[in-house]
Amino acid sequence: MLTFTVRRLLYGVVLLFVIVTLAYLLLYAAAGDVGRTILGPTATQATVALKNQQLGLNSPLISRYFSWLGHALTGDFGSSWFTNQPVKTAILTRLQVTLTLVFGAVIVSAVLSAVLGVWAALRGGWVDRIIQVFSVLGFAVPGFLIAVFLVRIFALQLHWFKPTGYVQMTYYFGGWLRTVTLPVIALSIGLVAGVAQQVRSSVIDALRQDWVRTLRSRGVSERSVLFKHVLRNAGGPALSVLALSFVGLLGGAVIIEQVFGIPGLGQVAVLATSEGDVPLVMGLVVAIGVIVILVNLAIDLLQGFLNPKARIS
Amino acid sequence: MFHRKWPGAAAGAALVLVGPLVLSACGGSAGSSTTLTLGVIAPATTFEAPDMNWGNESPYNQAVYDSLVQASPAGVIEPHLATAWSYNAARTVLTMTLRTGVTFTDGTPFNASVAVKNLEAFQKGTSNNASDLVNMASATAVSPTELMIRLKQPDPAFLTYLGEAAGSQESPKAWSSPTAATVPVGSGPYELDSKATVVGSSYAFTANPNYWDKPEQHYSKIVMNVFTSATTVLDAIEGGQVNAANTFDNTTIPQIQNAGFTVYPLQLNWAGLSLFDRNGTMSGPLGNVKVRQAINDAFDRTALLKDMSDGYGSVTTQIFPTNSPGYESSLNSYYSFDPAKAKQLLAEAGYPHGFTLDMPSITAAFGEATYALIQAELANIGIKVNYTDYQGSTIFTAILAPKYPATYFTLEEDPIPWQLAEFILTKDATFNPFHSTNSTVAGYLDTIQTGSSAQAATAAKALNEYVVQNAWFAPFFRPQSSFVADSHTSVVVQAGNAVPYLWNIKPKES
Repeated sequence: MLTFTVRRLLYGVVLLFVIVTLAYLLLYAAAGDVGRTILGPTATQATVALKNQQLGLNSPLISRYFSWLGHALTGDFGSSWFTNQPVKTAILTRLQVTLTLVFGAVIVSAVLSAVLGVWAALRGGWVDRIIQVFSVLGFAVPGFLIAVFLVRIFALQLHWFKPTGYVQMTYYFGGWLRTVTLPVIALSIGLVAGVAQQVRSSVIDALRQDWVRTLRSRGVSERSVLFKHVLRNAGGPALSVLALSFVGLLGGAVIIEQVFGIPGLGQVAVLATSEGDVPLVMGLVVAIGVIVILVNLAIDLLQGFLNPKARIS
Repeated sequence: MFHRKWPGAAAGAALVLVGPLVLSACGGSAGSSTTLTLGVIAPATTFEAPDMNWGNESPYNQAVYDSLVQASPAGVIEPHLATAWSYNAARTVLTMTLRTGVTFTDGTPFNASVAVKNLEAFQKGTSNNASDLVNMASATAVSPTELMIRLKQPDPAFLTYLGEAAGSQESPKAWSSPTAATVPVGSGPYELDSKATVVGSSYAFTANPNYWDKPEQHYSKIVMNVFTSATTVLDAIEGGQVNAANTFDNTTIPQIQNAGFTVYPLQLNWAGLSLFDRNGTMSGPLGNVKVRQAINDAFDRTALLKDMSDGYGSVTTQIFPTNSPGYESSLNSYYSFDPAKAKQLLAEAGYPHGFTLDMPSITAAFGEATYALIQAELANIGIKVNYTDYQGSTIFTAILAPKYPATYFTLEEDPIPWQLAEFILTKDATFNPFHSTNSTVAGYLDTIQTGSSAQAATAAKALNEYVVQNAWFAPFFRPQSSFVADSHTSVVVQAGNAVPYLWNIKPKES
């Protein structure tokens, strides 16, 4: 298991190095006149030249890259070109906001998917059909459209929630709940649709197994059959889908944070990319790269733990 | 069987979702009588005064810093940290008397030495307005309350600049701090609340308890939320989350008005063609005034305003704004849509079959349709336009190189003639890449720079008339941008600035 973990970690480090190197080169290739981008059309050429010099853009790209890499290894990612905030601070401040949304969506999705999937599997009939239709709709309707709908109805018409912004949970819990609920719902719907289907199929499969019939014939209660045996068996694949969706949710958060004006990683990623804020984009590439690698490692370990064959492969 | 139990569980799960709804009903609105929540469209690039920008970033500056002078909404210069000032006869030495008893929030007293350091730092800094002090030769502290500024040449806009970023005063001690860019130390009406601020997204300010000019401190707290899309700012307006805001998009104006907000229209720019190559260095035909006039006659400005700006704005053929001494209302319609006349002018200039004109485009900013419309209207008189599309700032590098004889752009209209001239009309202006000039223009500019107010105003009108008649540009219209405010907020817009000055945004008296 240790060899497996170390090997996966080494793959992750190599992958991260390749990603950041490519990202750095591509970003600078497309950066254009950075000083002009920052200062806008009204600045004189002399001021633009001074800005470029201050940013160290007059030195060769390769030397800039190794300088950045050296600093990055010590945790110093420089400062944003457009807000002058240290990149590390900008990312850490916003990471907890995005993770709040993503974990909130994972929890809501896990609970709802389990409820709906099991309900559909057990009840069948019209309940199953409605949940199937919901699943198809959940897949088909884009998250941002759901977000816009939620804002119009629940924030602007009914005034139950805030249409934009984010309140820290530690600052005012009620305010936090009013700002995160709609984004979490918008992020969750697509995921619920997918995972509920997975749970439904797994539960139906499990219920058809001989060991379930054996348990029932031995007088084990239906509740115990479901919770102690069927769900435990059916939960594995659903857990994998949920874990893999974590990375997808980070991407979904980019759009959702834009719609709700939430100061998370997604919002800053869009802004930094459109402005060409290379230091901030590079910091984001590293942060998101590390998250993706760690989540994948956790999934690999989980798979390896559940299935020893995966460790060998 | 189990299925009878599940509706109950589902209802329980539903309660998880509905719970917040119940809680939310207890919440209140974001704004209060002592809190101003502003929707802004740009984050603060920096809080380091020597590098700060103006325009959309002016509210950040005005919250935490005092400037040497202040401009009234109409642009008249009024005392602030400088209580009085005078020029010498040649208008090259400005002497200012400074206010006493003003301290920065770190306890450092404001005096002439501090003002000198700030001016020198701004001149050497990287604000996009750094060139505002290009004419400053030196600044000297004659005494703690007397500041003397020597100019290389008269600068009619200099006092205006001292009321903007160039005149902002920060405690010099702050500059050595590693957090200088994000933690300002000023003497202004508010202090940045770093703990409640998410840099780039939301900035919170609390009233400076020791502020010297309490009547100008209208709120106990100001929050500036950065919005990055028209939809989000509209949602915030409709949801009552802002008291006032800049908007992105005129198409949302009806919805904003339905939300009970008042719209304050601003016309800060002009959109149209800059016909840079007036000597025909790169494009021979543009050196002929009849060709440039023909280009002006080729455009149906009313249709362009409707198609490119949803009808919000006003058509014009001049680049001087309505609040400039150089403005002349008749010059809004000096050229009219007359393709037949345009073709005749081209023929008289020796181009009966038209010619080819290379121009840069930035479709990511202005859209494909804008460039297609311009192309179609010029094709109508025989001028074939070839575009090269650019991304981001590279277009400015190409324009200013100069790589193109003409370009479409939206450019600022400064109300002070000298300010406008230094941007686009003087020989070395940033947006005069071919350095076009002649004795007539130079004469008018000299009077604007060195003459009395009355002489400068007359010269500005004459210059405007000359530029229009000689078709240095082909302006289409002044697009409208809008500042909006709710029914609790009183606003007086500022001449030439995208955002009203902070002290002109007040709680409305009931």
